[in-house]
Amino acid sequence: MMQGTNSRVSAIDEKSLALTRRLFHIALLLAYAYFCWLMLGISLQYIPIDTDVAFLRIKQDEIALWHYKIAFFTHVFTAPLSLVAGFTQFSKRIRNRLPMVHRWSGWLYVISVLAFAAPSGFVMGIYANGGLLAQIAFCSLGVFWFIFTILAVRRAAQHDFMAHRAWMIRSFALALSAITLRAWKFVLVGLFHPRPMDVYIWIAWLGWTLNLIVAEIIIRKLKR
Amino acid sequence: MKKSLSMLLLIAFLAYGCGSKTQESSTGADSNATAATELADPPIEETADMVDLKGFYVGNFEATKFQKGKNPSFTNLINISIDALGAGKVEGHSVVAGNARPFTGTYTMEGGAYKVVAAEPGDDKYDGKFTFILNPNSHDVIGTWVANDAKLAVSERKYELKRRAFAYDADLELPGDVAWSELYGKVPDPDWMRSEVTTEDVLRHNVSKKRLKKEDVENMYKGDLEILRNSIYARHGYSFKTRKMRYVFDSSVPWYMPVSTDVSKELTQIETENIALIKRYEQHAESYYDSFGR
Repeated sequence: MMQGTNSRVSAIDEKSLALTRRLFHIALLLAYAYFCWLMLGISLQYIPIDTDVAFLRIKQDEIALWHYKIAFFTHVFTAPLSLVAGFTQFSKRIRNRLPMVHRWSGWLYVISVLAFAAPSGFVMGIYANGGLLAQIAFCSLGVFWFIFTILAVRRAAQHDFMAHRAWMIRSFALALSAITLRAWKFVLVGLFHPRPMDVYIWIAWLGWTLNLIVAEIIIRKLKR
Repeated sequence: MKKSLSMLLLIAFLAYGCGSKTQESSTGADSNATAATELADPPIEETADMVDLKGFYVGNFEATKFQKGKNPSFTNLINISIDALGAGKVEGHSVVAGNARPFTGTYTMEGGAYKVVAAEPGDDKYDGKFTFILNPNSHDVIGTWVANDAKLAVSERKYELKRRAFAYDADLELPGDVAWSELYGKVPDPDWMRSEVTTEDVLRHNVSKKRLKKEDVENMYKGDLEILRNSIYARHGYSFKTRKMRYVFDSSVPWYMPVSTDVSKELTQIETENIALIKRYEQHAESYYDSFGR
């Protein structure tokens, strides 16, 4: 093949590649917006505060405990904030051109996770449906989410932004488990029709471990 | 003994033949008019065996004239209860498919059997007229039913009922010889099969006796929970309004018979609590099992 044509073709390739990438990003963002909307709907089921609706219909023994009650409503009403905050954080443009947005949104994320969503998730995990296996899964999810987030804040404070980014990717991967575990349920039930608590144990693990694997792959790619 | 039995059967058979003929001739006639003419018959003295005839007669109520397009319910377990009998008059009620209706009518003696013509009040859409032979020796009821409204999904049915006593018994268990996991596999309504999974789990608890803990039910399929919860109602002789539960209990549970359309006052404390608990998990499964949310 001739040199001239080759370079022209690769120029077109690059252009269309950039376009595809942008379209992919937009599609991803739209999908994310859709799932955030669904998650918001799940939280709104509990307004006005009601201890006998939705998930709580089968958590009557637990919701009677004051600490579970606090943990549950804290989780339901603050965890969505961390998802909303995630909208802006991975955009290169916003990071570069609107650093204040990145910073404020970052604080919203960090506070909602460290002060509310992760600790409350941990407490709820202790009482999780599905027995010990599910309880370990949800509790470790809470612990890892807390640790990754705090590490990300510290690396940012130390101006180690490469490490900050890596820990935030891991932290956010765990935040996304709210969506992925429910998506897994949808898939597993559709495919295998397992018993309700069996599916619960599966998604308790699949919901965040696979996210972490994907996070590691992304981090490796970014390093290169 | 055998001879007399076959003699009786013959009489019953002949009587049945006459019965269906009479039924044909009276189709379309005003039921009140028929009752009035037969009231004029000389009264028959009440004897001990008439009292003995009172009770529940249970069996399949099978469609013989129906409109396919209207999604007819082909067969349901019916309980025809003879509540009073004497002096040529019959009073009773039927319980079928969640519908309890009284009937009154008259009888004439034919070959040692009671030939009964009885009408439901007529103020319900599904009322109609019963014509049957009540055989005092074999304790069975054989006959037909014709709806007042010929345009109903099912306008005529036939039945052969056996007398059965009813008593609530918490010890009655769901039968173990039923293929519970294939329950909805060969079913008239394909929707049930698609939406419900049933398993042998229904045999794990007698929910009329054992106070359930959440651990007992949380990992059960919704289809199993529904059957378990309704097994309580079935023990009390509840006549199910939903076709799915009729399908399950009419055909798969030999001790089941419909007796009442409201058993809420009969439930024991354990049963009431278990129903509430099971219902929670059923509703949870209904809303969240196969959807994204929770």
